[in-house]
Amino acid sequence: MSHRDGHHGRGRRGGGHRPWRPQVGERGKQVIEGLDENSPVIQSFRKFAADLDAKHDRYERLVKLSRDTTIESKRIIFLLHSIDKESKREGVLTEAQNRIAHLNSTIFKEIAKELKGQDQYQYLRAFSAGIQEYIEAVTFLFYLRDGKLPHWNELQQNLIYEEESIHLVPVEFFLGVGDLTGELMRCCIQSLGTGSTKSCYEACSFVRDIYIGFMGVSNTGNREFIRKLSVLRQSLSKMEMACYTLAVRGNEMPKHMLADVFSSSERHEEGADEGFCID
Amino acid sequence: MPSDMNTIFAAFQDHINVEQDLREEIRQVNKDIDQKTREIQTTLQIIHHEGGLLKISECCAQSRKLFLDVKSGFSKLSSIVPENEYYRFHDHWRFGMQRLAFLGALTVYLETGQMAMIEEVAQLLGVTTRREEGFHIDLEDYLMGLLQLASELARFAVNSVTNGDYKRPLHVSQFVAELNSGFRLLNLKNDGLRKRFDALKYDVKKIEEVVYDLSIRGLKPEEKPEQSSST
Repeated sequence: MSHRDGHHGRGRRGGGHRPWRPQVGERGKQVIEGLDENSPVIQSFRKFAADLDAKHDRYERLVKLSRDTTIESKRIIFLLHSIDKESKREGVLTEAQNRIAHLNSTIFKEIAKELKGQDQYQYLRAFSAGIQEYIEAVTFLFYLRDGKLPHWNELQQNLIYEEESIHLVPVEFFLGVGDLTGELMRCCIQSLGTGSTKSCYEACSFVRDIYIGFMGVSNTGNREFIRKLSVLRQSLSKMEMACYTLAVRGNEMPKHMLADVFSSSERHEEGADEGFCID
Repeated sequence: MPSDMNTIFAAFQDHINVEQDLREEIRQVNKDIDQKTREIQTTLQIIHHEGGLLKISECCAQSRKLFLDVKSGFSKLSSIVPENEYYRFHDHWRFGMQRLAFLGALTVYLETGQMAMIEEVAQLLGVTTRREEGFHIDLEDYLMGLLQLASELARFAVNSVTNGDYKRPLHVSQFVAELNSGFRLLNLKNDGLRKRFDALKYDVKKIEEVVYDLSIRGLKPEEKPEQSSST
């Protein structure tokens, strides 16, 4: 039984053996059995098969690399969230910076190698998720370090290697920035907890600027873009509520309790959000 | 809004504007190509008509003439689309190109009875076959065209019988069976091409039924089907 299963599993990957065949009648069977290897049709199909396999294999390799990028980028973001004291700040920023540099020189170099001599747009979907997560991590680092949003060309420079490069598509960059706002919201709520009111206000106004920027850009027709914008709006309104809470009740109670107050009001908001985001 | 943020979003807006202008240009050229595609399609529909079988060479010549306009359309497109960004705009012409691959392959089939190689189709469209060589026809689009050809030929087999040609279905049957065995050599992913290929078996079946009907009624001609290909 287990032997059969193993075989079946391999077959499904579609090496040489294919488990599924279309039903063909007598005549079709005759032709298939007497497959004429010399026929120009069959010969060109053999070539097509090789071309298609090469393309699919490259695509799959890029998907795998993209997944690795996502994992490492998420870890870097998590690391950056661990800054809660000013004393830890420098150490964390340096470590994050090193890890991003490492990512640039390993996985991204691999991706660039795969894309060398190819039309990058053909494979964009394969590594889009990874690159967005990476952009999120890098821009988060930029925000924590310099308090500003980098131009995509600054990020692009890190993705150029000796002979190959990854072209950073601006739309991908802004999709990553859209995700960044989610991290900034978390960061803002967290600072409430640690009592750092200044960084809470800062994050909020930064996200507000991004929101204004997004609003000013004409519709790109990208569905993902529209979705990100609505998430961005939700994050922003949560942050604005946090700042409001801070302003109204900031003097009434110890700072560490504010986060609790906010998280309960956030839960309340959550219900209301559902109603708004339908439009 | 701080000025650096402003600059970034302004740069993004510029990028979008450039892209949209380019897409608009592509759409304009596409419109002309689509118009010609429809004309070729109507021209070739003659083969299904009564008495259309006699006009085949005439309508193939007409189709080839129209393909010259298509060719100039694609040469315009290739000058608009930046190098190495073919797939950025691929969706604009993907379906049109599939249709044209089908019509090109149909023309070649009607003329010679052979499957049009990708090179022949590319030549008709005035494009290359490899991405490295410039504006090309995507392999999958060409294959989609061949699958559309099989459906059209199934119809053609039925109508030829109605119009009194009993030899043709035999040739069509052999042709499509070979196409089918060719496709079975490919490892298809679970994508559009695979779905379209799954429909090929119905075309094969339809053609086989026609051949079956002819043979049980003794209407099947004696000669080998290959000889019928010269018309």
